[in-house]
Amino acid sequence: MSGRRPFIALALAAAVLALGACGGAPAGTTAQTADGTLKWGWSLPTTWDPVTSSAGNDVNALSLVYGSITRLDDKGTPIPGLATAWKYGAGGKEITFTLRPGLTFSDGSPLDAEAVRKSILRGRDEKDSLIASQLHSVADVKVAGPQEFTVLLTQPDYQIPYLFAGKTGMVVSPKAFEADSKGVSAKPVGAGPFTLVQLVPNDHATLRRNPSYYDVANIHLAGFEVKAIPEPATVVAGLQSGQYDVATIPPSQIDAAKAAGLKVDVIPSLTVRVLDVNSGIPPFDNPKVTEALKYAVDRKALLDTSQFGIGEVNVQPFPKGHVGYDPSLEGLYPHDPAKARQLLAEAGYPNGVDVPLTTATPEGLPEQVQEQLKEAGIRTTIKLIAPAQHTQLVYVQHNVALAPDGFVGRESPLQALSVVYGPEGLMNPGRTTPKALLQQFEKVRTTPIDDPAYAEAVRKATAIGVRELPNVWLFSTPRIFARNPKVSELPRGIAVQRFDGVRIAAP
Amino acid sequence: MSVSLRGAWRLPSVRLSLAVLAVVVALAVFGDWLSPLDPVAQNPAERLRGPSGGHLLGTDYLGRDVLSRLISGTGASVLGTLEAVGAGLVLGAVPGLVSVFFGRVYEWVAMRVADALLTLPFIIFAIAVAGVLGNGPHQAMLAIGVLLAPVFFRVTRASAIEFTRAQYVEAAELLGASRTRVVRTHVLGKVLPTIAVTTAGAAAASLLVVSSLSFLGIGVAPPAPTWGGVLASDLGFLHQQPLAPLAPALLIMITVGALNALADAVRDTTGVRADAVV
Repeated sequence: MSGRRPFIALALAAAVLALGACGGAPAGTTAQTADGTLKWGWSLPTTWDPVTSSAGNDVNALSLVYGSITRLDDKGTPIPGLATAWKYGAGGKEITFTLRPGLTFSDGSPLDAEAVRKSILRGRDEKDSLIASQLHSVADVKVAGPQEFTVLLTQPDYQIPYLFAGKTGMVVSPKAFEADSKGVSAKPVGAGPFTLVQLVPNDHATLRRNPSYYDVANIHLAGFEVKAIPEPATVVAGLQSGQYDVATIPPSQIDAAKAAGLKVDVIPSLTVRVLDVNSGIPPFDNPKVTEALKYAVDRKALLDTSQFGIGEVNVQPFPKGHVGYDPSLEGLYPHDPAKARQLLAEAGYPNGVDVPLTTATPEGLPEQVQEQLKEAGIRTTIKLIAPAQHTQLVYVQHNVALAPDGFVGRESPLQALSVVYGPEGLMNPGRTTPKALLQQFEKVRTTPIDDPAYAEAVRKATAIGVRELPNVWLFSTPRIFARNPKVSELPRGIAVQRFDGVRIAAP
Repeated sequence: MSVSLRGAWRLPSVRLSLAVLAVVVALAVFGDWLSPLDPVAQNPAERLRGPSGGHLLGTDYLGRDVLSRLISGTGASVLGTLEAVGAGLVLGAVPGLVSVFFGRVYEWVAMRVADALLTLPFIIFAIAVAGVLGNGPHQAMLAIGVLLAPVFFRVTRASAIEFTRAQYVEAAELLGASRTRVVRTHVLGKVLPTIAVTTAGAAAASLLVVSSLSFLGIGVAPPAPTWGGVLASDLGFLHQQPLAPLAPALLIMITVGALNALADAVRDTTGVRADAVV
């Protein structure tokens, strides 16, 4: 070791200097044709099986491989996907879909009503299914013809077209899962725009265009690579070197990307940053303490500092403009440390409280939240956990009192509300849901989405959750992409990032 | 042993290294008093500012004074290093010294354990330990200490074997001296220079590993500053402050360099074989 010792530190400093010195125009990438391969710096999904996928963010990568029964437009409204039309009957207890004609999976097997039936029932019945809870009201799926199937429900549920726009509605080839159900996680077979041809875990996935995709005329990329981003600070350099053609970047890198001659797309998303609060752990079992939290945070300062002002202050789980967004809640919890201290005193904590703030990424927002809460008398100690422990500790074991988090949203507004406020919701660790909110959930579920009363029903549920449940919503954040100028502008999908219509120019 | 430890003091490199280390120790002990500003006080309106009269090394992403964070963070960085080296010393040098007097079974088992531990990479092992025992400074340092232990074990044992075979040791044993007395009187003093060289080298290596772990978010929890933590946070804002990582990187580099220079000088002046140290 003695001979190498002085050089390790020198190498460290040299690497730092080299990183700092990076600049100039993007380097040319590997030779591309007009139908080239696009390299996307993103994250690999937890699995390529939509039934066992455990992260909401997975839907972006999975939508490359799978077609879903419906899709959402850029406002979050259901539009045709594999199905061109749908119609409710029997007072909302059944819904009949009509599929596009001539659909096939990437393995050549027919994607007909029978295949969809099998795929939906697998999602409901598979032992390890993580979408089963969304399909619990599905009694059966009746096939009326090659292109027509009817979903029979145990109760009226008008959220099905929303649900079928996400992982729940992604159709997996029965030929694939009947042969090897667990194998779907690494060898997915769907009817999406691309087919997975190579998977290197934790590194990259290589895909090629699926010629049988129903909208293949709108896919102008012969190949696609999803590449994991190991360190956000290196993304701009990776784009310049040609390692990526498009990559997600943190707000702090926007200026660097523009200075490097890259294009930046800021695309509205469903993501809202939030503090998960466990109302089952003292002192948060006292509603006045959780209310104090909501007044103690300065959302605008958090947005300006951690997001460089990119996004919008938000006190609810939906972004502005979404059907579930209640404008009357704007300004509900202004930054008011004095009021927070008063609420703490009323809760029996005149000298403040001490709580752990659990996080895997302490720099930035958690540190600033800690400082803001301290001003209101809520003294926090940052408790570090490994990133992989977050899901287990917060969502499964529910033994974390306070944790910064992000909610990536769900296709169905009711599904989203159930995740954050429902009695079994991942982000409701206290496992308590007011009766009034459960009744409002019922109202949302039984109201047709084209009914004039629907939006009001969802917003009322949002308002009850925001006022009654402990989650502290902070701000909405968009998806931010930097791209090589040879790549055309990305579509603006609020729920899923798609690449339909994207072109990559020859060098 | 051609020259005593005192001989090393005459070398300029040793004096310079000790001067650097004295400053580092002073910063570690009195850092909180020497910091010009509160190292954890945030001022987001002043974030990511370059050097100025009010902030000689600028401000970080939360508007905190970088100079104050580096000074205040010296304690945690040095303490972590000492903790790791101390653990390695206790777990390695002591068994290495006494292993000479035990039987072949003990020797075989101890050597195989040492060999096995030597194959483990520091950072990955520390991350694994933090995953099992929880992410905290003591867990990470203990992990590093465990991996340093076989180095101390082998070096101490090799050195001790050499001296226990000397004729004066045999004579002492024939005259009825106990093993404890033999070790204390005739062996310990002889192996100390080797242990000193190994300790200095191990401290340099540990400081790098401690800084690397802080860089990766393992060990000391924010907002408490560390050298590695400051370096890691600076790298996220290179466009705004391209020169910011220089200060923490230089601090780490100079301190590691001083420890290495000290180890090399002590090795050279005491005649410890180069291949007998880390």
